[in-house]
Amino acid sequence: MSFARPRLALGLSPRILAKQRSIALPSSIIAYRNIHSSRCSHASPLESPGRLEGPVSIKSPPLGAGSLTAKDEPGKDINPYKDGQSAIDKAVHLFFFTEIIRGMWIVMENFFRQPYTIMYPYEKGPLSPRFRGEHALRRYPSGEERCIACKLCEAICPAQAITIESEAREDGSRKTTKYDIDMTKCIYCGFCQEACPVDAIVETQNQEFSTETREELLYNKEKLLANGDRAEAEIAANLHSDHVYR
Amino acid sequence: MSFVRYVRNIRRIGLSQWWHQLQYIGDAKYGRLVGTDQFGNKYFENLNPDDELPGRHRWVDFAQHYSNATQVPPEWHSWLSHIRLPPPMEDSVMQNMSPPWKAPWTENLTGTRGAYRSYNTVNPKINAWEPKVIARGEAHP
Repeated sequence: MSFARPRLALGLSPRILAKQRSIALPSSIIAYRNIHSSRCSHASPLESPGRLEGPVSIKSPPLGAGSLTAKDEPGKDINPYKDGQSAIDKAVHLFFFTEIIRGMWIVMENFFRQPYTIMYPYEKGPLSPRFRGEHALRRYPSGEERCIACKLCEAICPAQAITIESEAREDGSRKTTKYDIDMTKCIYCGFCQEACPVDAIVETQNQEFSTETREELLYNKEKLLANGDRAEAEIAANLHSDHVYR
Repeated sequence: MSFVRYVRNIRRIGLSQWWHQLQYIGDAKYGRLVGTDQFGNKYFENLNPDDELPGRHRWVDFAQHYSNATQVPPEWHSWLSHIRLPPPMEDSVMQNMSPPWKAPWTENLTGTRGAYRSYNTVNPKINAWEPKVIARGEAHP
Protein backbone atom coordinates (compact mmCIF):
# COMPACT_ATOMS: atom_id res chain seq x y z
CA MET A 1 0.00 0.00 0.00
CA SER A 2 2.76 2.39 0.81
CA PHE A 3 4.38 2.20 -2.58
CA ALA A 4 1.13 2.54 -4.46
CA ARG A 5 1.00 6.30 -4.13
CA PRO A 6 4.35 7.28 -5.67
CA ARG A 7 3.70 4.91 -8.51
CA LEU A 8 0.32 6.37 -8.94
CA ALA A 9 1.85 9.81 -9.17
CA LEU A 10 4.32 8.52 -11.69
CA GLY A 11 1.56 6.93 -13.64
CA LEU A 12 -0.60 9.93 -13.60
CA SER A 13 1.93 12.63 -14.43
CA PRO A 14 2.64 11.59 -18.01
CA ARG A 15 -1.03 11.34 -18.65
CA ILE A 16 -1.52 14.93 -17.54
CA LEU A 17 1.54 15.89 -19.55
CA ALA A 18 0.14 14.16 -22.56
CA LYS A 19 -3.10 16.02 -22.22
CA GLN A 20 -1.30 19.31 -22.42
CA ARG A 21 0.64 18.30 -25.51
CA SER A 22 -2.22 16.54 -27.17
CA ILE A 23 -2.26 19.08 -29.92
CA ALA A 24 1.23 18.23 -31.09
CA LEU A 25 1.22 14.43 -31.02
CA PRO A 26 -1.33 12.01 -32.37
CA SER A 27 -3.32 10.37 -29.67
CA SER A 28 -2.42 6.85 -30.83
CA ILE A 29 1.26 7.38 -30.11
CA ILE A 30 0.48 8.78 -26.72
CA ALA A 31 -1.68 5.81 -25.96
CA TYR A 32 1.14 3.50 -27.04
CA ARG A 33 3.66 5.29 -24.88
CA ASN A 34 1.28 5.28 -21.95
CA ILE A 35 0.98 1.52 -21.94
CA HIS A 36 4.25 0.88 -20.12
CA SER A 37 4.27 3.98 -17.99
CA SER A 38 0.77 3.64 -16.62
CA ARG A 39 -0.27 0.95 -14.21
CA CYS A 40 -1.70 -2.25 -15.46
CA SER A 41 -5.41 -2.02 -15.03
CA HIS A 42 -6.34 -5.71 -14.98
CA ALA A 43 -3.75 -6.71 -12.35
CA SER A 44 -5.40 -4.86 -9.52
CA PRO A 45 -8.82 -3.74 -10.55
CA LEU A 46 -9.84 -2.97 -7.02
CA GLU A 47 -7.22 -0.27 -6.69
CA SER A 48 -8.10 1.91 -9.57
CA PRO A 49 -6.82 5.48 -9.08
CA GLY A 50 -10.26 6.91 -8.86
CA ARG A 51 -11.22 4.83 -5.87
CA LEU A 52 -8.12 5.47 -3.82
CA GLU A 53 -7.67 9.14 -4.40
CA GLY A 54 -11.10 10.20 -5.19
CA PRO A 55 -11.90 12.02 -8.40
CA VAL A 56 -8.99 13.75 -10.08
CA SER A 57 -10.90 16.96 -10.27
CA ILE A 58 -14.00 18.07 -8.51
CA LYS A 59 -15.56 19.00 -11.77
CA SER A 60 -18.04 16.62 -13.24
CA PRO A 61 -16.59 14.43 -15.96
CA PRO A 62 -16.95 15.68 -19.49
CA LEU A 63 -19.53 14.41 -21.81
CA GLY A 64 -18.77 11.09 -23.39
CA ALA A 65 -16.38 9.99 -20.61
CA GLY A 66 -18.93 7.60 -19.22
CA SER A 67 -20.05 8.13 -15.68
CA LEU A 68 -20.56 4.50 -14.63
CA THR A 69 -18.88 1.33 -15.84
CA ALA A 70 -19.46 -2.27 -14.84
CA LYS A 71 -16.82 -2.10 -12.16
CA ASP A 72 -18.50 0.82 -10.55
CA GLU A 73 -21.46 -1.34 -9.80
CA PRO A 74 -21.83 -1.55 -6.00
CA GLY A 75 -20.85 -4.86 -4.39
CA LYS A 76 -18.64 -6.00 -7.25
CA ASP A 77 -15.42 -4.75 -5.71
CA ILE A 78 -15.86 -6.43 -2.35
CA ASN A 79 -13.60 -9.46 -1.87
CA PRO A 80 -14.93 -11.39 1.11
CA TYR A 81 -11.76 -13.59 1.34
CA LYS A 82 -9.34 -10.69 1.08
CA ASP A 83 -8.33 -10.46 4.73
CA GLY A 84 -9.00 -14.07 5.86
CA GLN A 85 -7.93 -17.58 4.94
CA SER A 86 -8.81 -19.09 1.65
CA ALA A 87 -11.24 -21.98 1.53
CA ILE A 88 -8.37 -24.41 0.86
CA ASP A 89 -6.49 -23.13 3.89
CA LYS A 90 -9.50 -23.65 6.08
CA ALA A 91 -10.04 -27.17 4.73
CA VAL A 92 -6.38 -28.05 5.18
CA HIS A 93 -6.35 -26.84 8.77
CA LEU A 94 -9.53 -28.68 9.55
CA PHE A 95 -8.45 -32.00 8.08
CA PHE A 96 -4.88 -31.91 9.32
CA PHE A 97 -5.98 -31.03 12.81
CA THR A 98 -8.52 -33.79 12.96
CA GLU A 99 -5.95 -36.17 11.54
CA ILE A 100 -3.67 -35.42 14.46
CA ILE A 101 -6.53 -35.97 16.86
CA ARG A 102 -7.49 -39.22 15.17
CA GLY A 103 -3.89 -40.43 15.19
CA MET A 104 -3.55 -39.64 18.87
CA TRP A 105 -6.76 -41.49 19.55
CA ILE A 106 -5.35 -44.64 17.91
CA VAL A 107 -2.21 -44.29 20.00
CA MET A 108 -4.27 -44.00 23.14
CA GLU A 109 -6.41 -46.99 22.23
CA ASN A 110 -3.38 -49.18 21.71
CA PHE A 111 -1.75 -47.83 24.86
CA PHE A 112 -4.52 -49.34 26.93
CA ARG A 113 -4.73 -52.52 24.89
CA GLN A 114 -2.86 -55.69 25.68
CA PRO A 115 0.45 -55.77 23.79
CA TYR A 116 0.95 -58.31 21.05
CA THR A 117 4.56 -58.93 22.08
CA ILE A 118 5.43 -62.58 22.55
CA MET A 119 7.81 -62.90 25.50
CA TYR A 120 10.21 -65.15 23.68
CA PRO A 121 11.92 -67.68 25.89
CA TYR A 122 8.69 -68.22 27.81
CA GLU A 123 6.22 -68.00 24.97
CA LYS A 124 6.93 -68.95 21.41
CA GLY A 125 5.44 -68.24 18.06
CA PRO A 126 3.90 -71.06 16.09
CA LEU A 127 6.17 -73.41 14.14
CA SER A 128 5.28 -75.74 11.31
CA PRO A 129 5.96 -79.47 11.55
CA ARG A 130 7.88 -78.91 8.32
CA PHE A 131 10.12 -76.32 9.93
CA ARG A 132 13.75 -76.70 8.86
CA GLY A 133 16.12 -76.22 11.75
CA GLU A 134 19.12 -78.07 13.05
CA HIS A 135 20.01 -81.28 11.28
CA ALA A 136 19.82 -84.75 12.76
CA LEU A 137 20.55 -88.30 11.64
CA ARG A 138 17.84 -90.75 12.54
CA ARG A 139 17.80 -94.38 13.50
CA TYR A 140 15.35 -97.19 12.86
CA PRO A 141 13.20 -98.15 15.85
CA SER A 142 15.59 -101.05 16.35
CA GLY A 143 18.43 -98.63 16.91
CA GLU A 144 20.12 -99.25 13.57
CA GLU A 145 21.37 -96.23 11.66
CA ARG A 146 19.17 -95.30 8.76
CA CYS A 147 21.83 -93.74 6.58
CA ILE A 148 22.97 -96.04 3.81
CA ALA A 149 25.64 -93.70 2.42
CA CYS A 150 23.92 -93.20 -0.92
CA LYS A 151 25.30 -89.64 -0.99
CA LEU A 152 22.17 -88.18 -2.57
CA CYS A 153 22.11 -85.43 0.02
CA GLU A 154 25.74 -84.66 -0.67
CA ALA A 155 24.97 -84.47 -4.37
CA ILE A 156 21.94 -82.23 -4.07
CA CYS A 157 23.26 -79.88 -1.41
CA PRO A 158 23.42 -76.49 -3.17
CA ALA A 159 25.84 -75.11 -0.62
CA GLN A 160 28.01 -78.25 -0.73
CA ALA A 161 27.95 -78.36 3.04
CA ILE A 162 27.78 -82.16 3.36
CA THR A 163 30.79 -84.47 3.18
CA ILE A 164 30.30 -88.22 3.26
CA GLU A 165 32.70 -91.14 3.29
CA SER A 166 31.55 -94.70 3.53
CA GLU A 167 32.86 -98.18 4.21
CA ALA A 168 31.35 -101.61 4.34
CA ARG A 169 30.77 -102.76 7.86
CA GLU A 170 31.78 -106.17 9.13
CA ASP A 171 28.30 -107.54 8.54
CA GLY A 172 28.45 -106.32 4.95
CA SER A 173 26.11 -103.33 5.22
CA ARG A 174 27.44 -100.07 3.87
CA LYS A 175 27.42 -97.27 6.40
CA THR A 176 28.99 -93.86 6.57
CA THR A 177 32.23 -93.43 8.40
CA LYS A 178 32.13 -89.72 7.94
CA TYR A 179 29.04 -87.56 7.73
CA ASP A 180 30.01 -83.94 8.19
CA ILE A 181 27.72 -80.96 7.76
CA ASP A 182 29.25 -77.53 7.82
CA MET A 183 26.42 -75.61 9.45
CA THR A 184 28.07 -72.35 8.54
CA LYS A 185 27.62 -73.23 4.89
CA CYS A 186 24.17 -74.73 5.19
CA ILE A 187 21.34 -72.60 3.84
CA TYR A 188 18.57 -74.75 5.40
CA CYS A 189 16.86 -75.41 2.09
CA GLY A 190 15.74 -78.89 3.12
CA PHE A 191 16.88 -80.57 -0.08
CA CYS A 192 18.87 -83.14 1.88
CA GLN A 193 15.87 -84.42 3.76
CA GLU A 194 13.82 -84.50 0.58
CA ALA A 195 16.53 -86.36 -1.29
CA CYS A 196 17.02 -88.94 1.42
CA PRO A 197 15.39 -92.27 0.45
CA VAL A 198 15.36 -93.62 4.01
CA ASP A 199 14.48 -90.46 5.99
CA ALA A 200 17.86 -90.56 7.65
CA ILE A 201 18.89 -86.92 7.46
CA VAL A 202 16.16 -84.60 8.68
CA GLU A 203 15.95 -81.03 9.82
CA THR A 204 14.51 -80.87 13.28
CA GLN A 205 12.40 -78.15 14.80
CA ASN A 206 15.28 -76.99 16.95
CA GLN A 207 16.36 -73.52 15.99
CA GLU A 208 18.17 -72.66 19.20
CA PHE A 209 21.59 -74.14 18.47
CA SER A 210 23.58 -70.94 18.37
CA THR A 211 27.18 -71.34 19.41
CA GLU A 212 29.92 -69.15 20.75
CA THR A 213 32.59 -70.42 18.39
CA ARG A 214 32.54 -71.21 14.73
CA GLU A 215 34.15 -74.58 15.33
CA GLU A 216 31.09 -75.88 17.15
CA LEU A 217 29.05 -75.55 13.97
CA LEU A 218 31.15 -78.08 12.07
CA TYR A 219 28.94 -81.07 12.84
CA ASN A 220 30.22 -84.58 12.44
CA LYS A 221 28.36 -87.85 12.38
CA GLU A 222 28.34 -88.38 16.12
CA LYS A 223 26.83 -84.97 16.77
CA LEU A 224 24.16 -85.51 14.15
CA LEU A 225 23.28 -88.93 15.53
CA ALA A 226 23.15 -87.49 19.04
CA ASN A 227 20.74 -84.82 17.80
CA GLY A 228 18.55 -87.50 16.36
CA ASP A 229 18.69 -89.62 19.49
CA ARG A 230 17.65 -86.74 21.70
CA ALA A 231 14.79 -85.45 19.57
CA GLU A 232 13.54 -88.64 17.96
CA ALA A 233 10.07 -88.41 19.52
CA GLU A 234 9.48 -84.94 18.13
CA ILE A 235 10.95 -85.76 14.70
CA ALA A 236 8.89 -88.91 14.34
CA ALA A 237 5.70 -87.19 15.47
CA ASN A 238 6.23 -84.41 12.95
CA LEU A 239 6.89 -86.86 10.14
CA HIS A 240 3.81 -88.78 11.18
CA SER A 241 1.64 -85.67 11.13
CA ASP A 242 2.82 -84.85 7.61
CA HIS A 243 3.07 -88.31 6.11
CA VAL A 244 -0.26 -88.02 4.30
CA TYR A 245 1.07 -85.10 2.27
CA ARG A 246 4.42 -86.57 1.31
CA MET B 1 -8.29 -53.73 28.68
CA SER B 2 -4.75 -54.53 29.61
CA PHE B 3 -4.75 -52.83 32.99
CA VAL B 4 -7.94 -54.56 34.08
CA ARG B 5 -6.54 -57.92 32.97
CA TYR B 6 -3.32 -57.23 34.83
CA VAL B 7 -5.07 -56.47 38.11
CA ARG B 8 -7.41 -59.40 37.62
CA ASN B 9 -4.50 -61.77 37.07
CA ILE B 10 -2.69 -60.48 40.15
CA ARG B 11 -5.78 -61.19 42.22
CA ARG B 12 -5.96 -64.68 40.75
CA ILE B 13 -2.34 -65.74 41.11
CA GLY B 14 -1.48 -63.98 44.32
CA LEU B 15 1.22 -61.52 45.17
CA SER B 16 4.12 -63.96 45.54
CA GLN B 17 3.45 -65.61 42.18
CA TRP B 18 3.02 -62.18 40.64
CA TRP B 19 6.43 -61.14 41.98
CA HIS B 20 7.95 -64.38 40.66
CA GLN B 21 6.49 -63.80 37.19
CA LEU B 22 7.63 -60.21 37.24
CA GLN B 23 11.21 -61.43 37.66
CA TYR B 24 11.02 -63.70 34.65
CA ILE B 25 8.22 -63.32 32.14
CA GLY B 26 7.56 -59.71 33.07
CA ASP B 27 3.79 -59.96 33.06
CA ALA B 28 1.00 -61.23 35.25
CA LYS B 29 -0.32 -64.35 33.59
CA TYR B 30 -2.93 -66.72 34.91
CA GLY B 31 -3.56 -70.12 33.41
CA ARG B 32 -4.08 -73.81 33.83
CA LEU B 33 -1.02 -75.87 34.77
CA VAL B 34 -0.82 -78.33 31.90
CA GLY B 35 2.17 -80.30 33.05
CA THR B 36 5.70 -80.43 34.34
CA ASP B 37 8.62 -81.92 32.47
CA GLN B 38 11.52 -83.96 33.82
CA PHE B 39 13.52 -80.84 34.59
CA GLY B 40 10.79 -79.18 36.65
CA ASN B 41 9.75 -76.61 34.06
CA LYS B 42 6.06 -75.85 34.38
CA TYR B 43 3.85 -75.38 31.36
CA PHE B 44 0.72 -73.28 31.43
CA GLU B 45 -2.12 -72.63 29.08
CA ASN B 46 -4.98 -70.16 29.04
CA LEU B 47 -7.27 -70.31 26.04
CA ASN B 48 -9.61 -67.57 27.22
CA PRO B 49 -9.32 -64.73 24.68
CA ASP B 50 -10.23 -62.20 27.35
CA ASP B 51 -7.11 -63.13 29.29
CA GLU B 52 -4.51 -63.97 26.68
CA LEU B 53 -4.06 -62.96 23.10
CA PRO B 54 -3.69 -65.73 20.55
CA GLY B 55 0.00 -66.61 20.39
CA ARG B 56 0.52 -65.86 24.07
CA HIS B 57 -1.76 -68.57 25.35
CA ARG B 58 0.96 -71.15 26.09
CA TRP B 59 3.97 -70.41 28.21
CA VAL B 60 6.63 -72.02 30.32
CA ASP B 61 7.91 -71.21 33.77
CA PHE B 62 11.52 -72.35 33.85
CA ALA B 63 12.90 -74.21 36.82
CA GLN B 64 16.31 -72.61 36.57
CA HIS B 65 17.07 -69.01 37.23
CA TYR B 66 19.47 -68.76 34.29
CA SER B 67 16.99 -70.01 31.78
CA ASN B 68 17.19 -70.34 28.07
CA ALA B 69 14.87 -71.70 25.46
CA THR B 70 16.78 -74.95 24.95
CA GLN B 71 15.96 -76.12 28.47
CA VAL B 72 12.62 -77.19 27.08
CA PRO B 73 12.79 -80.87 26.03
CA PRO B 74 11.70 -81.63 22.45
CA GLU B 75 8.39 -83.17 23.42
CA TRP B 76 7.31 -80.04 25.23
CA HIS B 77 8.98 -77.90 22.58
CA SER B 78 6.45 -79.32 20.15
CA TRP B 79 3.64 -78.29 22.43
CA LEU B 80 5.08 -74.88 23.29
CA SER B 81 5.71 -73.99 19.64
CA HIS B 82 2.10 -74.88 18.79
CA ILE B 83 3.25 -77.73 16.55
CA ARG B 84 1.14 -80.30 18.37
CA LEU B 85 -2.18 -79.69 20.07
CA PRO B 86 -2.16 -82.10 23.02
CA PRO B 87 0.59 -82.00 25.64
CA PRO B 88 3.09 -84.88 25.36
CA MET B 89 1.67 -87.03 28.13
CA GLU B 90 -1.72 -87.04 26.39
CA ASP B 91 -0.27 -87.29 22.88
CA SER B 92 -0.58 -90.92 21.81
CA VAL B 93 1.36 -90.36 18.59
CA MET B 94 4.30 -88.81 20.38
CA GLN B 95 4.33 -91.56 23.01
CA ASN B 96 4.17 -94.35 20.45
CA MET B 97 6.96 -92.74 18.46
CA SER B 98 9.30 -92.46 21.43
CA PRO B 99 11.95 -95.15 21.03
CA PRO B 100 13.49 -96.98 23.97
CA TRP B 101 16.94 -95.75 22.98
CA LYS B 102 15.97 -92.11 23.27
CA ALA B 103 18.85 -90.10 24.69
CA PRO B 104 18.37 -87.64 27.55
CA TRP B 105 17.92 -84.05 26.52
CA THR B 106 20.64 -81.55 27.24
CA GLU B 107 20.36 -77.85 26.79
CA ASN B 108 22.61 -75.89 24.49
CA LEU B 109 25.98 -76.20 26.20
CA THR B 110 27.87 -73.68 24.17
CA GLY B 111 30.20 -71.55 26.21
CA THR B 112 30.58 -74.26 28.84
CA ARG B 113 32.94 -77.21 29.23
CA GLY B 114 30.31 -79.50 27.83
CA ALA B 115 30.23 -77.69 24.51
CA TYR B 116 30.52 -79.80 21.41
CA ARG B 117 33.93 -79.84 19.76
CA SER B 118 34.24 -81.07 16.26
CA TYR B 119 36.55 -83.96 15.43
CA ASN B 120 37.27 -86.20 12.50
CA THR B 121 35.50 -89.54 12.51
CA VAL B 122 37.84 -91.22 10.00
CA ASN B 123 41.57 -91.64 9.76
CA PRO B 124 43.25 -88.66 8.16
CA LYS B 125 44.09 -89.09 4.47
CA ILE B 126 47.20 -86.94 4.61
CA ASN B 127 49.73 -87.68 7.32
CA ALA B 128 52.80 -85.78 8.31
CA TRP B 129 56.13 -87.36 7.44
CA GLU B 130 57.40 -89.55 10.20
CA PRO B 131 61.11 -90.20 9.61
CA LYS B 132 62.37 -93.65 10.49
CA VAL B 133 66.03 -93.92 11.39
CA ILE B 134 67.58 -97.16 10.22
CA ALA B 135 70.24 -98.58 12.43
CA ARG B 136 73.75 -98.87 11.07
CA GLY B 137 74.58 -102.09 9.31
CA GLU B 138 71.00 -102.99 8.45
CA ALA B 139 69.93 -103.44 4.92
CA HIS B 140 68.12 -100.63 3.26
CA PRO B 141 64.52 -101.55 2.75
